[in-house]
Amino acid sequence: MAIEIPKLPEHMHSGATRFIGRDVKRVEDPALVSGTVEFIDNLDIPGMLHCAILRSPHPHARVLKVDTSAAEALEGVAAVLTGEDARRWSNPAYTAPEGWGAYCVAVDKVRFVGEPVAAVAAENRYIAEDALELIRVEYELLPPLATPQAAMAPGAPVLFEAHDSNVVQSRVYNWGEVDRLFAEADHVVSNSFRWNRVGANPTETFGCICQWDLAENSLTVHGAYQTPRFWVAARAMALNLPSNKVRIVSHPMGGSFGGKGGPRGTDISALLSRKSEGRPVKYIEDRMEYLIAGFSQSWDRHYEASLAVKADGTVTGFKVRLIDDQGAGTEGWGTISVAKPLAAFTGPYRIEAARYDTVLVATNRAPSGAYRGYGPPPHFLVLESLMDMTARKLAIDPAELRRRNYLRPEQFPYTTPAGNEYDSGNYEAVLDKLLAMADYRGLREEQSRARAAGRLIGIGVASTVEPGVFDWNAYATVGVPGIGVPEGVKLAFDVFGNLTVVVGFTLQGQGQYTVAAQIAADYWGMDFNAVKVTTAATDVTPPHFGPGGSRLGVAIAGAVLGASQKLEDLFCCVVAHVMQTQPDQVELMDGRLRLKQNPAVGMSVAEVAGLMLSRADLLPPGVEPCPEATYVWTAPNRTMPDEEGRCRSYLTAANATHLVMLEIDRETGRTDILKYFIVDDCGTRLNPGNLEGQLQGALAQGVGAALYEEYVYSDDAQPLVTTYVDYLIPTIHEIPMAKKDFVVTPSPFTPLGAKGCGEGAMHTTPAVIHCAVNDALAPLGLEIRETPASPRRLWQLLHQAK
Amino acid sequence: MTTKQRINLHVNGKAYERDVEPRLTLADFLRHELHLGGTHVGCEHGICGVCTVLIDGRSARSCLTLAVQVDGAQVTTVEGLRNRQTGQLHPIQQAFVDAHGLQCGFCTPGFLMTTLELLGENPDPSTEEIKEALGGNLCRCTGYESILASVRLAAERMRAGG
Repeated sequence: MAIEIPKLPEHMHSGATRFIGRDVKRVEDPALVSGTVEFIDNLDIPGMLHCAILRSPHPHARVLKVDTSAAEALEGVAAVLTGEDARRWSNPAYTAPEGWGAYCVAVDKVRFVGEPVAAVAAENRYIAEDALELIRVEYELLPPLATPQAAMAPGAPVLFEAHDSNVVQSRVYNWGEVDRLFAEADHVVSNSFRWNRVGANPTETFGCICQWDLAENSLTVHGAYQTPRFWVAARAMALNLPSNKVRIVSHPMGGSFGGKGGPRGTDISALLSRKSEGRPVKYIEDRMEYLIAGFSQSWDRHYEASLAVKADGTVTGFKVRLIDDQGAGTEGWGTISVAKPLAAFTGPYRIEAARYDTVLVATNRAPSGAYRGYGPPPHFLVLESLMDMTARKLAIDPAELRRRNYLRPEQFPYTTPAGNEYDSGNYEAVLDKLLAMADYRGLREEQSRARAAGRLIGIGVASTVEPGVFDWNAYATVGVPGIGVPEGVKLAFDVFGNLTVVVGFTLQGQGQYTVAAQIAADYWGMDFNAVKVTTAATDVTPPHFGPGGSRLGVAIAGAVLGASQKLEDLFCCVVAHVMQTQPDQVELMDGRLRLKQNPAVGMSVAEVAGLMLSRADLLPPGVEPCPEATYVWTAPNRTMPDEEGRCRSYLTAANATHLVMLEIDRETGRTDILKYFIVDDCGTRLNPGNLEGQLQGALAQGVGAALYEEYVYSDDAQPLVTTYVDYLIPTIHEIPMAKKDFVVTPSPFTPLGAKGCGEGAMHTTPAVIHCAVNDALAPLGLEIRETPASPRRLWQLLHQAK
Repeated sequence: MTTKQRINLHVNGKAYERDVEPRLTLADFLRHELHLGGTHVGCEHGICGVCTVLIDGRSARSCLTLAVQVDGAQVTTVEGLRNRQTGQLHPIQQAFVDAHGLQCGFCTPGFLMTTLELLGENPDPSTEEIKEALGGNLCRCTGYESILASVRLAAERMRAGG
């Protein structure tokens, strides 16, 4: 029987929903607040060694000689790993496009500060670090390429010898008659923008324990992995192991935001285990390692962009030229972040045509990786800044300009010029609710009075679309193959009728185990506490991806509902057999399988499960004694990209409009956020508490990116950020407690009408803050077009103007 | 390596005597010698506050404290919060659960210990006082709003005797 996933909570036929949409307490929390959760550094395996990694102090150098003899002689050292071992036993990182990766330990040359050049496994971490100091490395320095401009200059040294330049990819996408629209425009609004590197910085760094079984030639990895099976495939390729001989047990993570994984750390630990006769090797990345060479520095971008605008403020065309500094290769899959804006290139607007001219360049900065949003946040900062510049030029209120350009409710589902399909939305309703909640008119009046008193008060209004439920096809243009992102669950009732939901991913903070439990408990009419959500090693879990690309809430809902339907069909067969009727005469309602004609007669779910496992004699012929079902969900109707990258990629298009009022201190350049408002629409809200947390948390990361956080590099590609004294994560003092409200436009395409919303405010917050900062500066004729708008940058701007 | 030094201390009311290297941090001592893994380590530079414990009732960074420095001290960690016999959560822990005061939970033990110190000194803190107390603890998930609400809820319940 075909599985039909209910499109709204009220379509669930098995009874009233008691948990979906309610503010359910998270199942994850009691252990987390008790300190008993097994984060990776809390796991010890008998016989375990500890790894420390020696890292390059140079951004670009030939490695002439690595002398490890003194380190090997130190008491307590079990093995020392060098580039020669990596060359012998492993392959360079697989990347997209191919050929822009390196071995886990540098072979012949280093390309960024922090690149591993050797590693030690010792009886404890202290001894391992002692041993690092005994390793002698001879380098021949090469010219550092600190910027894409330097890397593209004629005669620049080539970083990856397999290629004849440092340009990873140069590609222009044309969608529609963009030249004609610009020629016909009444106004063209153009500017350049610089987005400096930021990164995920979860409070827990990466960690793993690898054990290489020399007899079996297999590898078991315990560690902090956001997407376990994805890592299995990559490790098998890197370490020359059959993919079914790599087993990952992913442990609860202290946050991830895209960057949890650590391919080099894993491969180094694995090879050290191999070299240490199969003893387990633990590697815990420290914060300094994370900051200089971790896996999630993101978005190092130089933009030039333009809007074509009619006299009435209608925006018709959008052109973006992007030079993206990928850093030392693409081992972190930073290329995806350039491709992802295709999924929502023109934001919430009716822009008819667009051009995206992209140049991805390798430099001697650290390789870039994934961070919440994975590309669109800088893109929307550019688009929304241009919208505000247009509003100023045409003397139209910025909120009104956006309203004039929004897609209208009747246009959904809407295919954007860049090819993706937006599922649904009502942008004007969101804006109206926001302006009313904030008393926008009142705020503008307050601003006028404050300006008259000489204060630098700014107001920003920004609208964005969040591409949700990612699909691999979105990244085909940067060399990633495939369509579909499987997310599976196994539902298993035991003999007492308790339910275990086995998923492929582990805890990371979003509360997805709670969401899975809510849906399962509602479907089966069960006590919430009778549902247990758990995971297992990659070799036994169903196909999965895990959290990423704002997809898991939707995907896990689809998987739990699909598996439930399969199991319900089976239960109906069993009950029909026992009751001597036909399966279609049996239905699941409020926790019972009952006769449609005589609802008083039936069996509880627990009774059916118990019967299946303990009374095989009562089962219908051909039915196995197995009250379990697996279902793997992926987004329906995704398409292959055409020659311009156009395809149905991300399944959902949540949207939000933010409004901020802030003040810049003339004397210090410091920005204080005075008021912050959010109205969002992510369709059905499966767990309002989780969602609120995602929104406010992404808002905080957005404030960091907009005002404080930056991976600073010197002119010779030395990282100047090495501790949290340098990388400024916002504290409770910097983050506004936003007033929030929402509109619900369910997705017509997804389980229960939910839309991907995990990245959320990260798309909008940097944009709206920069709009407001420039609104504050406008009376002075000043403008900032570089992130972060830090106190130092603003102070310099204000004082240069004096 | 250096000679080990003997320390005597109480952790969560229990007496320990251990020989430790002078360079061993309190965080590593608690986590890897006493196997009290609830004290997490976030930056090892004393900035993020994830590793906060109480030493003789005062909050301290266990990553910047050496184990030999707590000889003779009373140390309290997150493991000391809930009822050992029943597992019942401390009102501060319960408030964090009830007010969604955590997401990944990695920084949470640090916030809980800082809150324990705050509410011990000031049972009815204002919003500004809560912010001042928590200003040295970084959270990358929540955006702090729900943490603020959790501390308010805990204070309210503890004042009411809960």
